[in-house]
Amino acid sequence: MFEVYKKELKELLRDKKTLMFVVLLPVLIFPIIFAVMAFIGTQAALEADQKVNTYVIINGEYAPEFTDKVFYHKSFELYKGSKTFNTIEELKAGVTAGDIDMGIYLPSNAEDTLDSGEQSKWEVVFNDAKSINFLFDRVKELAQEYSDVLQAEKLKSFGIEESSHKAILNPIEVVKVDTADKRENLGEKIGAYLPYLLIPLVLMGATYPAIDLGAGEKERGTLETLLLTPITRTELVLGKFITLLTTSIASTAITVVSMGCWVAVALAFADLDFIKTAFSTLAVTDLLMIFVLLLPLAAIFSSLALAISIYARTFKEAQNYLAPLNMGVFFPIIISIMPNMELTAKTAFIPVTNVALAIKDIIKGTVDYTFVGLIFLATALIAGALLAFCVKWFNREDVLFR
Amino acid sequence: MIEVAGLKKRFKLTKDHKKNKVDDIDPREDKDYFHSVRDVSFRCAEGEVLGLLGPNGAGKTTTLRMISTALKPDEGSITIDGNDIVKKPLLGRKSIGFLSGSTGLYGRLTVKENIEYFAKLHGMKKSDIASRCDELFTLLDMHKFIDKRAENLSTGMKQKANIARAVVHRPKVVVLDEPTTGLDIMTTQTVIEFIKGLKAQGTPVIFSTHHLDEVALLCDRVAVINEGVSCFDGTVEEFKQTGNSEELNQAFMNILTEKHNV
Repeated sequence: MFEVYKKELKELLRDKKTLMFVVLLPVLIFPIIFAVMAFIGTQAALEADQKVNTYVIINGEYAPEFTDKVFYHKSFELYKGSKTFNTIEELKAGVTAGDIDMGIYLPSNAEDTLDSGEQSKWEVVFNDAKSINFLFDRVKELAQEYSDVLQAEKLKSFGIEESSHKAILNPIEVVKVDTADKRENLGEKIGAYLPYLLIPLVLMGATYPAIDLGAGEKERGTLETLLLTPITRTELVLGKFITLLTTSIASTAITVVSMGCWVAVALAFADLDFIKTAFSTLAVTDLLMIFVLLLPLAAIFSSLALAISIYARTFKEAQNYLAPLNMGVFFPIIISIMPNMELTAKTAFIPVTNVALAIKDIIKGTVDYTFVGLIFLATALIAGALLAFCVKWFNREDVLFR
Repeated sequence: MIEVAGLKKRFKLTKDHKKNKVDDIDPREDKDYFHSVRDVSFRCAEGEVLGLLGPNGAGKTTTLRMISTALKPDEGSITIDGNDIVKKPLLGRKSIGFLSGSTGLYGRLTVKENIEYFAKLHGMKKSDIASRCDELFTLLDMHKFIDKRAENLSTGMKQKANIARAVVHRPKVVVLDEPTTGLDIMTTQTVIEFIKGLKAQGTPVIFSTHHLDEVALLCDRVAVINEGVSCFDGTVEEFKQTGNSEELNQAFMNILTEKHNV
């Protein structure tokens, strides 16, 4: 068994494709993808923030203070073109034609309506599908400021002291007293999504080499020679299985370490307090516990990938069979982020979901180690059953000589 | 001495096979199974080379795969020095060296690493592996390319490496499935010399071939299989007599025709 393991590992380490999937991809590609995504996201937000939008206000003279606020706002520029806008329809046509980015229609009696005890309805015309909905928020904010001034003036005219305005307008204030500490909050947010990254990587670390170790052997004609040596099929399967377990774990470890390094690099070059606080709550033991939890999962994936791969006749066929597995792994992870899904004695027996839930609890700092024990038991049982299945398949002529 | 008696092997027909079935003429096919080997018997003693002959699809490869223990016979026995290797496959694997046209090498390992790997799997000791490898590399003139990766070898080099891999553990019986197919004259000659060497050492060799000139050159005995059934098992002289011809090709054709007509 050990000889099979040594040889498989040596061969895999000489395979550029495997090295790319197991080592290079986790080390470089993921941080690069995240960096590119972060860069594009930041650029888009910056661009949106700096963009100046042209506008038109109809009947602006009836709310001069508001009109001035919009005029002096850094994100807005008054339309200076030759077209005239007098109705809502004309504003809509102007936005559609691209002459203006936004049109605000004020009723001609904007200030007077308030005096008569009625609410004034203002309309903002813009294209909401262009991802510039912050336009509306900005106008709403300016309108609110103006509304607050009018409100205060009105209450004052009724002889109400300024100190009482708050009590009249908002008689009840609901204040949230959160018992969750910073770590628990962080765990709920980050912990739910970390399995999306880690679990598929564990699978990927096993699937690609599995194709080489199973279907690849068949295609190259080496499987038959291997089956004719006096080692038992159980030893053969175990040798291959441990190889896959190694690559799967290595891939995960490399990813976690690589991500840690990249976060450290990012922190060294930027003042990211939130990330600093977030990562300071995690102890090395937590990371180790996450790593340990991924071991039985790696065992499940390794035995499953090996069973599928040995059934396939060719490399290509194995890739086709394993593709649904790569997609299917997300399903139990999605279950783990459903509302009210918690790690319990029952959920500890749902493969993949249980590990995803445990990772979340570890990051939150609320993990119950009894359930972790149950997860180990459940995953070890499943991995064992799958391994036994693998051995059975390695003994079946219709599988080996399809 | 290896003795094969009453071997039978059938394979379950796949749905696709049943669907695409062209005719019902093949006597080896029934509703659910293809009876690849129906009754095959022969023997090969120490120092003998047995040529296994038969047309394409006769059941030669299935027979040799059963001898190599890759496939388990449905019926029959295969004994090496009195031990039934059907019942004791691990013993069979230690006793047999097998090589077929489709067996490959690990491309990313060097020739030496390939041979050493199989020697280790056969439980050989480190010192023994080194001396045995050196012996085989000299015998097969392989020293020039033993440190090359198998994926970079020519067909001839690969076949030499495969031969070395098949016999590294000093098997009691060597089984070769069309070992010279697709090889150039030089490499074919190396294979022939190697078989002669095994014969001289007293190792029984069973090899399937379509080249009757190789049979004339190497074989003491001949076994013929047609449609999964043994048609002939005897010495080369008996083969010529039964086939009514001094020409091996003609004798072979006559034996097949005669059996077919019967």
